[in-house]
Amino acid sequence: MEILKTKPGIHKARGGLIRSFVFVENGILKDITISGDFFLFPEEAIFKILENLKGTPVKREELLKNIEDTYAKEKIQSPGTAPSDFTESIMKALEA
Amino acid sequence: MEQWRFIDFGLVDIRDMMAMDEAILKGDGDNTFFFWTPKKSIILGFFQKAEVELDLSKCKDYTITRRISGGGIAFSDDRCRQINYGVVGTIDNDLFPLDIIESYKQVCGVLIDTLVHYGLNAAFRPINDVTVDNKKISGNAQTRWEGKLLQNGTLLLDFDIEEMLRIANIPKEKFLDKKIASIREGLTWLDRELGEQRDMEEVRNVMKKKFEERFHVRLKTGTLSSNEKELTKNFLPKYYSPEWVYR
Repeated sequence: MEILKTKPGIHKARGGLIRSFVFVENGILKDITISGDFFLFPEEAIFKILENLKGTPVKREELLKNIEDTYAKEKIQSPGTAPSDFTESIMKALEA
Repeated sequence: MEQWRFIDFGLVDIRDMMAMDEAILKGDGDNTFFFWTPKKSIILGFFQKAEVELDLSKCKDYTITRRISGGGIAFSDDRCRQINYGVVGTIDNDLFPLDIIESYKQVCGVLIDTLVHYGLNAAFRPINDVTVDNKKISGNAQTRWEGKLLQNGTLLLDFDIEEMLRIANIPKEKFLDKKIASIREGLTWLDRELGEQRDMEEVRNVMKKKFEERFHVRLKTGTLSSNEKELTKNFLPKYYSPEWVYR
C-alpha cells in the first residue's frame, strides 16, 4: 500500500495517537497500516492485530470484535489505548 | 546496602546505543541505571512509520533508527543538551511494579525528585510523561522482557522546538485534547524553567543521587558484561538496517 497517497484516519487515544491507512474493496478491509505513538505489550502483537483484520467487513462492530479477539488471544496490554480506539481510527480512515 | 550497576555511555551513535540498550535488557546483567548523550538523531517508537511521522526530505543529516519500545519520536538536536537515561530492572512489585503505569510512575519519580530539587513544580502525567506546570519536560518509553523491564527516557535541558516542528508531521489531534493551540505551549525544558544553563554533569549527578534514594541502592560504575557485548554485536545490524528503520 502506498500510504503517502492514502488519507489517514487520525484518532487520539489517551495512550497516544493512532493513524490508520486502509485499503477497502467491496466492503472488505483488504490492507491496513498503522503508525502511532501508543504503547502495546507485547509489541509484536500489533502485526497479529493487522493480519487478523484483513478480510474483515468494514463495520464498526465487526472490526471491534476482531481486534478484541486478538487482544484476548495474544494477552495484549495497552495502557490508555483500547480496541475501540483502533476501531475509531479505522472508521475515520474509511470516512477520509 | 545493595549495589546496582551504573554506566555512562557518553556521546554515542543512537544505533549503537539502541543495540546496547536491548542487550542490557536481554543479557545476563543485574539491575542497571545508565546515561547516554545522543548525537543529532531521531529514534522512532516501535509502532511509528518514518514516512508518516517525519518529513524525510528534511531529515537527511539526522541518524534515524527505531527502538523496541512504543511511544513517540525521540528527537535530539545538535545542541546535545538532553539527558537520556535507561533503567533495566527485575519486576518485583516493590521497586519495579508489575502494573505498567505504576512502574512508569516509580521510575519517573527519579526525574520528578530531580526537578523538585531545582525548585520546580514537577508531576507525573500518565501514561509516560513528566511535566513542569503541566508542560512536558520528559518523555519515557517502556518495554518488558522475561520478567524484566527497560525504561528509556529523556530530560530536556534545552530543546530546538522549531527544528522538531520543521521535520515532524504532527497532526493537530495530537495536542488538541491538552487544550493548547500548538505543541509549543505543551513543552518546556530545564534551561527555560530555571532561566540559566546548568552544567549537565551536575544535573546527571543529582539524578543519580535521587535514583539511589528512591530505590535504596548504591550505584557502582561498571561496564557491559561479555555476554552483553556479544548480544550487542548480534543486535547491531538490525538498528543499522533500512528494513527495521523504514519498515
